[in-house]
Parts: sequence; C-alpha cells; structure tokens
Amino acid sequence: MNTVNVKVDVAHVTKQFDAENPEQGLALSGVSFGVRTNEFVAIVGRSGCGKSTMLNIIAGLLDPTEGEVRINGTPVKGPGLDRGMVFQHASLFPWLTAIENIEFGPSNLGVPKDKRRELAQGLIELVRLKGFEDKYPRELSGGMQQRVAIARAMAMDPEILLMDEPFGALDQLTREDMQHELLRIWESHKKTVLFVTHSIIESVYLADRVLVFAPHPGSIRKEFSITLPRPRQKSSTEFMRYYEEIYEAIG
Amino acid sequence: MRRSADRARRGKRKGPTDLQIKLVTLVGLLVLWESLSRLGYISPLSLPRPTRLASTLWDLSVYGFPTDITVWLHIRATMSRIIQGYLLATAVAIPLGLIIGRSYLLERGTNPIITFARSVATISLLPLAIAWFGVSELSRVLLIMYGAFWAILTNTIQGARSVDINFINVGRMFGAKRSRIFFRVILPATLPRIFAGLKIALGISFMVIIGVEMIGTVEGLGALIQQARFFYKSDMAIDGTIFIGVLGLILSVLLDRVERLALPWAVGLEEVKR
Repeated sequence: MNTVNVKVDVAHVTKQFDAENPEQGLALSGVSFGVRTNEFVAIVGRSGCGKSTMLNIIAGLLDPTEGEVRINGTPVKGPGLDRGMVFQHASLFPWLTAIENIEFGPSNLGVPKDKRRELAQGLIELVRLKGFEDKYPRELSGGMQQRVAIARAMAMDPEILLMDEPFGALDQLTREDMQHELLRIWESHKKTVLFVTHSIIESVYLADRVLVFAPHPGSIRKEFSITLPRPRQKSSTEFMRYYEEIYEAIG
Repeated sequence: MRRSADRARRGKRKGPTDLQIKLVTLVGLLVLWESLSRLGYISPLSLPRPTRLASTLWDLSVYGFPTDITVWLHIRATMSRIIQGYLLATAVAIPLGLIIGRSYLLERGTNPIITFARSVATISLLPLAIAWFGVSELSRVLLIMYGAFWAILTNTIQGARSVDINFINVGRMFGAKRSRIFFRVILPATLPRIFAGLKIALGISFMVIIGVEMIGTVEGLGALIQQARFFYKSDMAIDGTIFIGVLGLILSVLLDRVERLALPWAVGLEEVKR
C-alpha cells in the first residue's frame, strides 16, 4: 500500500489478555493492515475473533502487547481527538439530554457555550433529530440513541470514525435506515471509517473493503475489495456473490 | 411517574385526589381509635385516646414540659442536632466514598473496617463520646453524624465502583481529562446511589436521636419522651413520638423533592433499578 495516504497503519499487533494463560488469553496475533484516507473499511467475524479488541486498540483504549498502531505515521499512545468512537450500546450519558450529550466533547475542549450549542444544533439536523434535542436518552428509541451517538462523535470532527457494532442492537428496519444515514453522512463529510460488525450484508453494503477476522487467535483470514457502485442493491447477483464468498471465508 | 400511572389506572373519571384519600384514611383511623376507647375496648391507661393526646399537645405547646420548655423548643433542639449531624456526615461521606470507590486498593483495604464500624450500634458509643467530648452538644451531633455516615459512605462507594466502564471510555475518547471524568462522568453516574444512601441515613438519624437525647439534656423530643416516661405520662411520650415521626416524614418528602430536582433524568428509574 502506498504509504502517503495511509491513515491508519496497524503493524503486527498482538494482544495478550492473560499472561498466565497464553493459549486462551491471546485475543490478537500479529495483525497488520492499513486504512487509506476517507476509506470505509469493515471488519467482520464471529464473536470472539478479536475485532472489538482491534478497534479498542486503534482507539487507544487498550494497549497492544506487541506491535503498534500508527495514525498519520504517529504511534498511538492513548485516545486522541483524531479518532471518534461510536460504541455498540450508544453509551449516552443518561443524565444529559440529547443535545448535551453531543456537546460533551466540545465542552471538554473548552468550546464556549453558544458556539457548541450552534455546532450541536447543526449535528442534530444532520442526524435528523430535530425536536428531540432536549429529550433524555431513555426517552429516545434505540435508533435515535445511535443517531445521537454518531452526532456526538461527529461533534469532535475526527478524521477517523471508529464504529463498534453500532447497529447491532437495532431491529432490522431501523438498522437499514441507519446504514443508509451513515453512508449519507460519510459521503457528505468524508471521514475514514472503521466499522466492526458481525453482519456480512452490512459489511458488503457499506464498505470499500471488508476484512474477515478469524478467532483463536484473532487474525485476518481474508480481505475483500467491494467494487460495487453505491447505492448498492442487496438483492443483486454481485452483492450475493460477495456475501457467499465472505460467508465461506468466515467458515 | 408512579402517580401518573395511578391516575391512568383510575381512568378519566373524576375521583378524589391523592391527598384527599390519605387524609380520609387517617381521620377514619383516628375516629375508630377514639370510639373503641370510649366504648371501653381500649383502656385509656394503656393507650390514651386521640382527644386526650390532642389536649396534652395543647398543654405541651403552651406551657411546656418540663415547665416553660414547650414542644416547639424540643423540636428546635432535635432538628438542630439532626441537621448538623446529618450535613456533617454528608459532607464527609460523599467525597470520601467517591475516592474509595474509585480506588481498588482503598476499597479492598477499607472494606472490613467499614463493615465493622457500620455494625457498631451508635448508642453503644455514647459512653465513649461522653468520655471524649463531654456531655455536650458536640457529643450529640457527632453521634448522629456517626449513625448517618456509614449508610451514605457505603452507598457512595458501591455507586462509584459500579460506574459503567463504557461511560469512562466515552469520557476518555471525548477529550475529558481525569478531573473532568471524575466530576462530569463518575459523580453524576453515582448520584442515584448517593441519594439512596442519603434516604437511609435520614431514617437512621431519627432513630439515633432518641438515644442521644437520653443523657444530660432536658431539651429535645428524645429528652421529652424520657422525662414523660419517668413521670408516667404516656400521653406525652406518645405525643413526642408522633412529632418525631412527623418530622421524619417532612424531611423525607423534602429529600425526595431535592432528588427530583437534582436527577430529573432518573425520575421513575428507581423502581426499575431496585
């Protein structure tokens, strides 16, 4: 891969959770891959294949046992403002309203109240939640909560969006709406996206490239470039072919 | 939340309000008690009738017992002690509980000491308090503080240590420094549990006060009850007990109000949680 436009460079990352139990505790073993600027990469695999661990290491929430992750050539030492994260369960603060949750990041950076309110208001419109600004998370549906979580990540204007099975807990219809919304936002705001999912359909629908992870220990089994033009038809023959190949690769 | 559910269950028909139902129940019970007493089913010696309690209450509020120490002075003394002890306990227990709860080592280390200390009945410390601080207001306030302290502390610790790790990770991912994570994430996440502790502690304060006022004072509802018992004035002792109950009720309602104001996001959540 051309090193000039590599945004995320994962080099020989190994993660050992349990030093006393090397067989069981090995979550990732020698994982290497790169993500280009503005590329949409999906990671699929069965539960326990280390895909969330990989994402948390890129986020800087976990340290790798060996190897390193470089963002724009700089090694990751912890969380940073170049990366925004959308968690599996929206993880919104229940004590803050929707708009206050979105303002949380900017407020930590000392953005003045009226400035960040304006920014958050714009993001509320981007994720189509106008009228729900002052609702607490528990008053919102699961899909709405994830919209707030996406807006919260966007409020930091990160170069990289890390998404850990963000739509996994949603019902099928909401999930498809959200996939559509995410592509719309990605196309208008050009971000580098790393998207972890266990849904093959979701990965083929969204990503430029799909990395298939395998368990015991977590590693990349195969990689697919999805060359279909967007918007993709989930029922098309080409789509189904990708689906079957990836299904095969997951095993 | 619960009240609106009640209203929904009753449907749209115009019924009595919540307050009306409670008042009618109370008055009904008092009338029943008075009647049973007058009909001779309850001996006035073992349980004075409500009208007798009311006239005693009149005497207490006008002439006082002992003479010139009216019931209002007793209430003032008791409330002052409870509020001072309770606020002191709150001021120390909440920050301490947050710190202990967020430190694995401190939590492990202090656990047996806290369990021991909270098991010690506050009243059994009365002689010790007198030895250290004399028969003084300070002794009484500190004993109430001791009683209230442990419930707030243990609840704060439990709340602080069980903060969802995802919330902390959100804080880290979104540029919050350690102190901001503490005040903007850990503290609000712990608040519902802190309020649970505050409610338990309030109840304990009212239990402790009676024992604390047994010695060295004639002022306070606890002292009033002691004196009344000594002179076989059971109507007076019952009046004193009723006042303690009413004060406890008022403070609990106030604390509920404060909780609703402080935690609008958690209203109605508690029923699910407990």
